[in-house]
Amino acid sequence: MRSFLTVTGKELLEFLRSYGLLFVVIYSFTLDIYIAGKGITLDAKNISIGVVDYSPGVISNKILLHLHQPQFQKPVFFHSQEELMESIRNRKIMAGILFESDFEKRFLTKNNPEINLLLDSTAATQSFLTLNYLEHIIFKFQKTLSLSPVRIEIHKLFNPNTSYVFFMALSELLSIITLLSVVLTAAVFVNEKENGTWDIMLLMPVNPKIVILAKSFSQVIIIMAGVIISVGIVLFGIFDLPMNGSLSVFMLLTFFYAFTSAGIGLFIASITHNIMQVAQVSVLIMMPIIFLSGAWTPVYAMHPVLQFLSIFSPLRYYIQGSESIFFRGTDLIDLWKYFAGVIFLGSILFWIGARKIGKLF
Amino acid sequence: MKTGIIKAYIKKELLDLYRSKMIFMVYIMPTMILLLFGYGIKIDVTDTRTLIIDNDRSKLSYDLISEFEHSRYFNTRVERLTEAKALDLIKQNRKDLIIIIPEAFERELTKGLQVAVGVYIDGSFPSRAKTIENYTTGVIFNAVMKQPGFQNRNQELIRINSRSLFNQAMSDKNMILPGLIGLVLFVAPAILSALLIVKEKEKGTIFNFYASPVKKNEFILAKLLPVLILHSTNIIILFLWAVYLFKVPFRGSFMFYAGASFIYIIISISIGLLVSIITSTQIVAVILTLIITIIPGFLYSGMLMPISSMEGESAIVAHIYPVMYYTHILYDVFLVGDGLSAGKNQLYFGILTGYAFLLLGAGSFFLKKRIK
Repeated sequence: MRSFLTVTGKELLEFLRSYGLLFVVIYSFTLDIYIAGKGITLDAKNISIGVVDYSPGVISNKILLHLHQPQFQKPVFFHSQEELMESIRNRKIMAGILFESDFEKRFLTKNNPEINLLLDSTAATQSFLTLNYLEHIIFKFQKTLSLSPVRIEIHKLFNPNTSYVFFMALSELLSIITLLSVVLTAAVFVNEKENGTWDIMLLMPVNPKIVILAKSFSQVIIIMAGVIISVGIVLFGIFDLPMNGSLSVFMLLTFFYAFTSAGIGLFIASITHNIMQVAQVSVLIMMPIIFLSGAWTPVYAMHPVLQFLSIFSPLRYYIQGSESIFFRGTDLIDLWKYFAGVIFLGSILFWIGARKIGKLF
Repeated sequence: MKTGIIKAYIKKELLDLYRSKMIFMVYIMPTMILLLFGYGIKIDVTDTRTLIIDNDRSKLSYDLISEFEHSRYFNTRVERLTEAKALDLIKQNRKDLIIIIPEAFERELTKGLQVAVGVYIDGSFPSRAKTIENYTTGVIFNAVMKQPGFQNRNQELIRINSRSLFNQAMSDKNMILPGLIGLVLFVAPAILSALLIVKEKEKGTIFNFYASPVKKNEFILAKLLPVLILHSTNIIILFLWAVYLFKVPFRGSFMFYAGASFIYIIISISIGLLVSIITSTQIVAVILTLIITIIPGFLYSGMLMPISSMEGESAIVAHIYPVMYYTHILYDVFLVGDGLSAGKNQLYFGILTGYAFLLLGAGSFFLKKRIK
């Protein structure tokens, strides 16, 4: 036990003394998450709109009145379709609306009126959302004419204002945790290989299992400290993230997950010889794990083969678990499958990693 | 310029990369990222896990349900549950959308009264929630409008006739792949080059450079060229994947694409070298490079969010990062096809070239030829 604490302490001290590393880790847990949360909304905001209006303009102007901030910029009027196309090509305008000359007549005589919409689809998410918004606006416009008999009451649970800040900040935190715990753990071992201190480690009168465990444990502590700083200062302090579940459950899940990624780190450390290889191999291994986690595409919308493979991505359980804790406020009992997934995969990965690197002792 | 020394250095670097098996990574990594993400990312929302609670059980409500069942956007189940039980299912992340059809839905509707349909959406993933919301209102609205009593109203409705320029089919792949190439060519060369100098510092072999007659600029050139040579092949490899495997149209000129990509790779390598020059240990260099390339590469490429809708700080940061200019050119050569005839492309090409020189200059400024 004493030797365990000594090795852990030595690694922590080494970490604290390498100022560059300390700085980068703190930066990624604070400012980086702040930038991601603050700067980016996947939402369509400020969409630039161009309008060509060949119709007399009474009804069309009424419709255009519905396009306003924050979703749309003030519509820019063009004289002809060619001018509009030119602007879209230069990506000054994202969506062009074209009213044909018979639009108003068809609208008044109730003869299937149509609006033409030209979308710059090079911005992927936004062109989908723009189309959605416009459909919604037209829909609302018709409702004011009391055309629709149904009232659809939408309740968006957990995030009624569809704020992107919470989502982006949390996703960023989870990626940072994954990235750092894998790379740091791998580096702790490979550094010794590269510096030649590996042999000194072998000569130490300490059981290799304890060395492996202590070294990984020290990195888990670093990650946990970073998570506390990040959740406390950035998520709660600055962004005022709502917490529907319990923080201690999240910390517990993070603890298990950090060990899981440390296991991946151990595996990488056992097959690489220098930091350059660590960097390359980590990216190579982490990309599929992140990809299969459902962070970008929900698991149920994936190809069946990928759905099956995603069972093996520990990040999948961690992301879903964390989102459930933060946003959905799921009861502890219903969280069992995320814990089970992380702990089960974690034990296997850590065991494989520890065994592989243990062979080098 | 002592070409002999540079040649020797390049040979040494190439041999180094080859012997540490890094040379495979140069080609595996970009291809893997492109294939994974190209096949995997879906922007459109499909198969939303939907639960409909039908309290009416009339012909109209069955029609409504079958509209949902026949839509590929929804994966619908109909069950009899209380509202609270249903909401628990969302809480447990087993359903994304719950629609509650009230009692006497059909009867009141035919009487001409307004009826409310309750819709509950899981809002944890904001953009998906918004899309689900819009699809749901659309489906319900259309289903009701199809009813005999509303046929004449149907004629009054304004329809949106939308046309996606540059990408008629609204295919996800066409939209994502050019952006992905921009991301890959930003991240991969930087990661490879980030360690080239700091490695020597940590191992102590940097003294060879301090003591040798090779100049600073020659040293940087010798470090830059091997990575550039290796990664240039990726310009063609990624192009082939995109055009022949993913069938993304290519409407611009290949020379313009290749030229811009070449300069872009130089920028990426220079960023890596700069990191390598200012850091003192390898692990710091690795983490720093990953953080300053991957995340901004994604966020500021304009792939997720068009630059025109950014505001404030993020708009400024987006203009500082070179990613945005290159992605603009990429989308142009793949989907638009204006090439160098468009003023904006010329400008952005110029900006990229400027960046390359600026970063290389900064690198040679910060590189010291003696111990501090």
